[in-house]
Amino acid sequence: MTESPPVNGLPIRTLAEVVENRAEGGGGFCLTLSVPGWPGALPGQFVMISAGACAAVERWDPLLPRPMAVYRGHRPAEAGGTTEVQILFKATGAGTRLLAETAPGQRVRMVGPLGVGFPPPGPDQRVCLVGGGTGTASLYEWALQCARTQPVSVLLGARRAQELVGLADFEALGVDLRCATEDGSRGTLGRVTALLEPLLAEAEPGELSLYVCGPTPMMRACSQMAVRSGVRCIVSLENNMACGFGVCLGCAVPMTEGGFSLVCRAGPIYDARDVDWAGLP
Amino acid sequence: MSGPVETAVEFAGIPLRNPVLTASGTFGYGSEFGPFLDLRRIGGFVGKSLTLEPRFGNPPPRIAESPAGMLNAISIENIGVDAFLEEKLPALPEGVVVIASCFGTDPDDYARLAARLSDSPRVSGVEINASCPHVKSGGIEFGQDPELLKDLVRRVREHVSGPLIVKLSPNVTRIAPMAEVCQEAGADGITLINAIQSMEVDVETRRPVLANVLGGLSGPAIRPIALRMVWQASRAVDIPICGVGGIASAEDAVKFLLCGATAIQVGTINYVNPMAAGEIADGILAYAQRHGFSRVADLTGALELDRAPVS
Ligand SMILES: Cc1cc2nc3c(=O)[nH]c(=O)nc-3n(C[C@H](O)[C@H](O)[C@H](O)COP(=O)(O)OP(=O)(O)OC[C@H]3O[C@@H](n4cnc5c(N)ncnc54)[C@H](O)[C@@H]3O)c2cc1C
Ligand SMILES: Cc1cc2nc3c(=O)[nH]c(=O)nc-3n(C[C@H](O)[C@H](O)[C@H](O)COP(=O)(O)O)c2cc1C
Ligand code: FES
Repeated sequence: MTESPPVNGLPIRTLAEVVENRAEGGGGFCLTLSVPGWPGALPGQFVMISAGACAAVERWDPLLPRPMAVYRGHRPAEAGGTTEVQILFKATGAGTRLLAETAPGQRVRMVGPLGVGFPPPGPDQRVCLVGGGTGTASLYEWALQCARTQPVSVLLGARRAQELVGLADFEALGVDLRCATEDGSRGTLGRVTALLEPLLAEAEPGELSLYVCGPTPMMRACSQMAVRSGVRCIVSLENNMACGFGVCLGCAVPMTEGGFSLVCRAGPIYDARDVDWAGLP
Repeated sequence: MSGPVETAVEFAGIPLRNPVLTASGTFGYGSEFGPFLDLRRIGGFVGKSLTLEPRFGNPPPRIAESPAGMLNAISIENIGVDAFLEEKLPALPEGVVVIASCFGTDPDDYARLAARLSDSPRVSGVEINASCPHVKSGGIEFGQDPELLKDLVRRVREHVSGPLIVKLSPNVTRIAPMAEVCQEAGADGITLINAIQSMEVDVETRRPVLANVLGGLSGPAIRPIALRMVWQASRAVDIPICGVGGIASAEDAVKFLLCGATAIQVGTINYVNPMAAGEIADGILAYAQRHGFSRVADLTGALELDRAPVS
């Protein structure tokens, strides 16, 4: 279906220069990086990023890089050139607060692209993307691609209007966009699941493909609703990670069929039925 | 001093291009680092600890962050010895030195596994993990009791003619006796340290962060402890020592060499910078050049001591 960018698939490790770090309100930041030799990324892929390298002396605290979706910048760099890659994040803990403090000209450590991309919907399917909090960052490029070929609905949820990550960009897509906030400051009062309910109720069997990214409780709720309605539901999991490329085994999620899957390598994209939601922390 | 510096060292009878190895459990089965690092730039790597049968690890959360470090309770999740020998080894480029790590629940397990691995021409040596800090049986029991450890090493030695390395646990009051029994039982080298037993708590939920409650601490936070133990062990035995624990830079690595290590392993830092081991190898060479050493091997034990230590 969608035209996918020519991605060579192999991740790189680089020091990327900060071009811009823009406060978005609600604690959100949009970080633009200039990445030399960027191989491109599929929608749904992520990078491991840490700001520890930007200090004059490399610092080891916080130690681990943080997984972040590639928000924009899926096309590869020209030979010998750079690409601008954007990350959308919320400053919450030590790692993201350090990232929030980076200024243009400073450098951050980056490894990526990592993980797999979203599987395409069926040719005649409608697409519904459900994003909660910073989870919307993983969905933007996918919404853009899907909107070229089929009808797309985007449902975004957050605590309050300022925390609707990337809202202006989604509005510019011109797709069916609905919001829910827990304080009612934008769109429907309540959770994003309240927006999903009627959409699922209307859907004919096999007519809809659902893609969800957000906090675990929200993904769990959406996937249960989708399974009940017989709708295919794809989730993008947001686990804690140490390496991001399959060597620490720290990101394992339990699978319905038994055993574990590494979110950084087999994921972060899964069919919701394959994930043993009860075993997720 | 100008002139070229000889970087090659020999550890436990294994000739290495340079003293930089990577630590078990932090380097997968080698091929994962293909996009980032030419494995022929480093001395070699130690693979994830293997068991006779494939094995799943602990439920999540398996990792937590701590000041300049991390806790892990992966347990010995691995693909099993057969898949390692049949799938992983052949995929590695020629000229990469592979040390295989073994884990078992009793000495017979260890011995059978070590023998199978050691018989492979692509395996340069075996490292027995007698120190995993968070598996219910096996591992650390051996690493904490000198009699059990001696019996374990002796049993494995009977089945392994190639280089045999024992990886020790830091979770002991005195490391020297543990190193001594390894030497007595015929080990060719010692690796230390494994992760330090630890725990972390989430005060909001009033629960341990790790599903397994206990985990192993690694990363720069543990480096001075590892350095102390390497130094103590190197004074207690004549067999060579491989130093591991919190190494993040060439300077860190050099500290271990000065304290008596013949080789070093890069662990947790591989997650932060998958090119770290190569950069550390280059940095050790630069250090030797800067300080007028013609051989990197001469750094081993070159610590200047003005007075005898208190303990
Ligand atoms: C594939 C993937 C893509 C992601 N994309 C984005 C993105 O585009 N934008 C964005 O803002 N976030 C994204 N995340 C989530 C992000 O990685 C975490 O929010 C981040 O690691 C938190 O780091 P911190 O330094 O703020 O928090 P920390 O200092 O680690 O601590 C804050 C609290 O958050 C917890 N925590 C830390 N990491 C995670 C995690 N990954 N999941 C759940 N809890 C965690 C800690 O246990 C702690 O209680 C993504 C995660 C994954 C796996
Ligand atoms: C996630 C993780 C998994 C590990 N798995 C193993 C293992 O399977 N076998 C082993 O001998 N050591 C294992 N270790 C310990 C390391 O090899 C090393 O001894 C320890 O982490 C200290 O070194 P570092 O601080 O440089 O990481 C593991 C460490 C980590 C962080
Ligand atoms: S994050 Fe290390 S294996 Fe997935």
